[in-house]
Amino acid sequence: MNNSDNADLLAAEYVMGLASEDEAVTAERLIRQDTHFAARVQYWRDRFSVLDDTAPPQQPGRDLWSKIEASLAAPSGKPARMSSTDWSVWWTSLGFWRSAGLAAAFASLLLAIALGSVLRVQAQKPVMIAVLLTDANRPAAVVHVLANGEAALLPLNSIDVPAGRALQVWTLWDRARGPVSVGLSKSSQTIQLNLGNLPKTSPEQLFEISLEPESGSPTGRPTGPILMKGTASTPL
Amino acid sequence: MLMSASPGPDALIAEAIGRCAQGDRAALRVIYDLEAPAMIGVAMRILHRRELAEEAVHDAFTRIWRHASSFDPDRGGGRTWIYAILRHRSLSILRSEGRTELLDESGFQDRASEEESPEEVVTRLSDAKSLKRCLETLQPARRKAILLAYVNGLTHGEIAGKLGVPLGTTKAWIRRSLLALRECLA
Repeated sequence: MNNSDNADLLAAEYVMGLASEDEAVTAERLIRQDTHFAARVQYWRDRFSVLDDTAPPQQPGRDLWSKIEASLAAPSGKPARMSSTDWSVWWTSLGFWRSAGLAAAFASLLLAIALGSVLRVQAQKPVMIAVLLTDANRPAAVVHVLANGEAALLPLNSIDVPAGRALQVWTLWDRARGPVSVGLSKSSQTIQLNLGNLPKTSPEQLFEISLEPESGSPTGRPTGPILMKGTASTPL
Repeated sequence: MLMSASPGPDALIAEAIGRCAQGDRAALRVIYDLEAPAMIGVAMRILHRRELAEEAVHDAFTRIWRHASSFDPDRGGGRTWIYAILRHRSLSILRSEGRTELLDESGFQDRASEEESPEEVVTRLSDAKSLKRCLETLQPARRKAILLAYVNGLTHGEIAGKLGVPLGTTKAWIRRSLLALRECLA
């Protein structure tokens, strides 16, 4: 079995539901990044989908449609159930990310335009922007990363930071590595981020703020409530 | 003329997804009317319990609605897209609800005996489908392993238990069967 067989088997096992959690994460990343892999996933889906067509149809309950409609009417659908102590839980809650992603994409567009006009004066156009959303899907802060690697977080609203606590900024580009702290501040002001030692910021890279003890999280991982989060994208 | 004017189900679904992306609630209802019964059927094979199957279909529809704009008709059919969402959701419910609970629940055995066997699934496949012909070239136990995974959402370990073979053997069987299927389907 060569490498291309292994990639193809990953695509097939992902489609079948046999991929382990880690393998599924890899497969989902490859689907976004590798058009050949995405095409192989599509190939297996197309081949196996004829099995779905053999399932005996069953009439849905009478109220199923009204339940669906009610969920569509809710502002953000199912509210994300976030456990602030276990980052892997919310990271894997795909539903939240997908709906947050749409809101973030829209907010990014607006803010990219707004920031564009502000930053033109400084002649430093950000190469990456992340709009951080609260769990109510409200834009709460913007991260911008300049071409020279300098990065800052600009809060859009003031955040009440209790005494003895601080805002800690995290980024996550690799699930295996986990979130890495890039900034700490006792008040909601512009926070310069320390991305110097990290790989170049990439689209979809996660940024988030958690509330931590004054000197920062004791564990090196977010331990307090996640106040906001968002993924990076390239401005227009 | 009338016949040529009516698009196939996949084209209908793809068109409806496109309208969902523009916020047309009626288009989601079109998909529901066309596919919800079949979707319940697919989810029931994985989840066995009616309320869980309905939950999976419910969640699939909210996702179809929210992510309609990410559907790309150039990359695949509309039905394949919605069933991929449904399967993903069904498997997440299955794994998060705790499998032992599902298996241990009283009455499951009875239900299981009423359920179709993997071989019955193959016989339901249309003879025109190359997957049927290719599945039939596999040894019965290996074919069963493939079907238990895709149709019923079993893990490698569960398939090994069901077939009474070691885990490593199950994994190897599935990988070799997939390569054989690929060869046969080419």
